Amino acid sequence: MTYLFAAYTIIWVVLFLYIFNLSKRQHKFHEQVTRLERLIENRKKS
Amino acid sequence: MNFLNQTAAILWKDILTEYRTKDALTSMLLFGLLVILMFHFAFEPDSLETEKYGPGLLWMTFVFAGILGMNRAFAGERENDSLQGLMLAPVDWGAIFLGKMLANFLFMLVVETIILLSFTLFFNFDLLHRLSWMVTITLLGTLGFASIGTILAAISMNTRMSDVMLPLLLLPVALPAVIGAVQATAAAFTDPPGEALTFWVKFLVVFNIIFVTLPLLLFEYVLEE
Amino acid sequence: MKSQNSLAILTFVLMLVALYAIFIYAPTERTMGPIGEVQRIFYFHVSSNWTTFLATFFVFLNSILFLMRGTRELDIRAATAAELGTIFGAFGLISGTIWAKPIWGIWWTWDARLTSFFLLWLILIGYQMLRRVVDSPGQRARLSAVFGILAAVDVPIVYMANRWWRTQHPAPVIAGGAGSGLDRQMALTLCITMVAFTVLYFYLWKLRCELERTGDTVEALQRRLQTQGLEVR
Repeated sequence: MTYLFAAYTIIWVVLFLYIFNLSKRQHKFHEQVTRLERLIENRKKS
Repeated sequence: MNFLNQTAAILWKDILTEYRTKDALTSMLLFGLLVILMFHFAFEPDSLETEKYGPGLLWMTFVFAGILGMNRAFAGERENDSLQGLMLAPVDWGAIFLGKMLANFLFMLVVETIILLSFTLFFNFDLLHRLSWMVTITLLGTLGFASIGTILAAISMNTRMSDVMLPLLLLPVALPAVIGAVQATAAAFTDPPGEALTFWVKFLVVFNIIFVTLPLLLFEYVLEE
Repeated sequence: MKSQNSLAILTFVLMLVALYAIFIYAPTERTMGPIGEVQRIFYFHVSSNWTTFLATFFVFLNSILFLMRGTRELDIRAATAAELGTIFGAFGLISGTIWAKPIWGIWWTWDARLTSFFLLWLILIGYQMLRRVVDSPGQRARLSAVFGILAAVDVPIVYMANRWWRTQHPAPVIAGGAGSGLDRQMALTLCITMVAFTVLYFYLWKLRCELERTGDTVEALQRRLQTQGLEVR
């Protein structure tokens, strides 16, 4: 029975970690995009 | 210059280069003999075990030596940037591939012949009775291996860890050829050979058809800049 | 983003349905005695394997399309498919070994399916390694596309070679379960789980491709900033 639990737990944990990791990176990228776009705007004005 | 002439020219160039230095051939050969020696010490097979494991041992030796040789196939070109020159010349991509592939094929055959004879010597294989089958099997197994190896060597050459990438990519993809060759060899050495022999030889033929045509078609994409 | 959210919800719902089917709806395996419950791993195991093959197919498809059309989008899709294939392949291998131990007493056996599946997994990893060691993006896309095609064509051949080899040297054949006289409820559960996994695959695929595209945008912006900087000066 522990086997059953182990198998499912591993899969779910890995899945969650993966999705979590993806969202985190996506978030970081979005922040970078906003920051860079702002920089470009500022450069244009000056 | 038509296609066949181009192929022959490149093949001849590779042979000539190798003939002058004999780098690759000697290292492949030495490596092959060392592997035989190591196998002997690692397993100390008696005659029954030799029969059982012999074909596998033989082909693994071929594979390792072949990888060594394949690495050199494009390494020399890269060092001299001669591949650029080759691509600028009005040569068909396919001819470059075939020429190099046949060169690799030939070198492997030379080395394999000597290793096969050594095997016969050291492990008391009865080669003569099955000579024609062994020649066929060796030719077929080596051809597919050389073909896949050539295109993968061209791919690996463009990477940072080129010598490591080649075996990493080559071994899984060439595995069916190795399985086929080992099984055919094993069948050739059993009395009577039975259906297994013809089956695996046919398998190798089909494998070769697929894996000589496919790399030929895909090669131009590897060389593009 | 909206389609992503609805896909996420769909995935979540289907997964819940699948879990219900697996643990409550499906009957317990009777022939295996008290440890029959372990058999429930089978649903996730087969579904993971199926998804891996699906992913490999997409690597193959997108690699061919890339060589024909050369767009970055296709390259992203091929790479993502390979990455997901590795993940689901790992699930398949792990669930397979965990399932095998209590049932057959061994962690592993070299039968045709397992061996070729393991090899497929190694090939997918090799594909990703290849991508990692090529520096120029254009080359990376092209080389991995070529390898992807070679590898994908190879996989069924590896399977057949292994199977024919094994029929001559019979080894403990693991009755994979799928199709070998499966109880109707179990079959339905399996279908549900496979569908859930497929939807999960597409959801993750969307997420991952989007991430890659955003990364491209960041790089493009960084380059623009650099050239802009030069102009101003």
